Amino acid sequence: MKTDDMRHELAQLGGGAHALATQILGNPDDAADAVHDSLEKALRTPDSYDSGKGSLKPWFLRIVRNRCIDLIRRRRPTEDRVEEISDSAMGPDKAAELADRDRVLKQALASLESEQRQIIVLRDYMDLSYAEIANVLDIASGTVMSRLHRARVALGKAYREL
Amino acid sequence: MTKYSNSGEHVGELLSGYIDGELTQQERQRVRLHCDSCADCDSTLTDLRRLRQRIGEARLSDKDRDNWRESMDDTTVKATRGIGWLLLIGGALIGVGVGVYEFIITPSTLSFIEKLIVGGVYGGMLLIFISVLRQRLIERKSDRYKDVEI
Repeated sequence: MKTDDMRHELAQLGGGAHALATQILGNPDDAADAVHDSLEKALRTPDSYDSGKGSLKPWFLRIVRNRCIDLIRRRRPTEDRVEEISDSAMGPDKAAELADRDRVLKQALASLESEQRQIIVLRDYMDLSYAEIANVLDIASGTVMSRLHRARVALGKAYREL
Repeated sequence: MTKYSNSGEHVGELLSGYIDGELTQQERQRVRLHCDSCADCDSTLTDLRRLRQRIGEARLSDKDRDNWRESMDDTTVKATRGIGWLLLIGGALIGVGVGVYEFIITPSTLSFIEKLIVGGVYGGMLLIFISVLRQRLIERKSDRYKDVEI
């Protein structure tokens, strides 16, 4: 894959990767650092990506996840911060309504275990297949459906209780 | 491990596989038949679909594509700038070293005292330059308002 093509694809994956990293690290700023480091690593060693083994998305998300795990080993986060995301392109009422819905969803997500948050983001936010999720999380592909279902049921319960 | 059948047992995790399109034809048929006769599973299926849609529509990251594109540009700029600085400082050090060596060792019409004075002037200029450069670099790093456009 050409470096320019890779840069273009990576830029598109950045937001989802940031969402995943935020769920792992519990902090959007640390997550941005982790994604930045991962982008550096991916661009430094583009040949380590083998398109024959799958798409760029799971390959890059695996790098991001590993980087997050490295960061957790170095410094454990002391607090989870749920930050508001504003959208200046929308009207204030609509933006506020969506921001409120997102805030509740984030709170519900925050009540789950890290593995559950990750699997939900990978499937429902980033639209990875079960095989790709197994690759990113380094788990048996046969366990993805049951783990995901448990995570969704837990999230649904937490969401209703908020 | 959950057992699935058409005889009334809930289909559990197959509901997730169903909405994700990850089931075989036979499993999909089993889920459809079960949900037709089980209000609980049918309701769970609706909830899961709604939740999935809700997550898909959410903004879980405040950083857009342009942010990451800039981030990658920044990485390239930093890498090339680092190499540039390395070459510049390396070349300057070698140049100054050779100059000092030549000035001290090479026989010339200048006496030792005169060499000392000239050396002192150039050495002083170099020290002042390094001092100012260091101060500027510290200010640049610690200035919280450097990115503010006026």
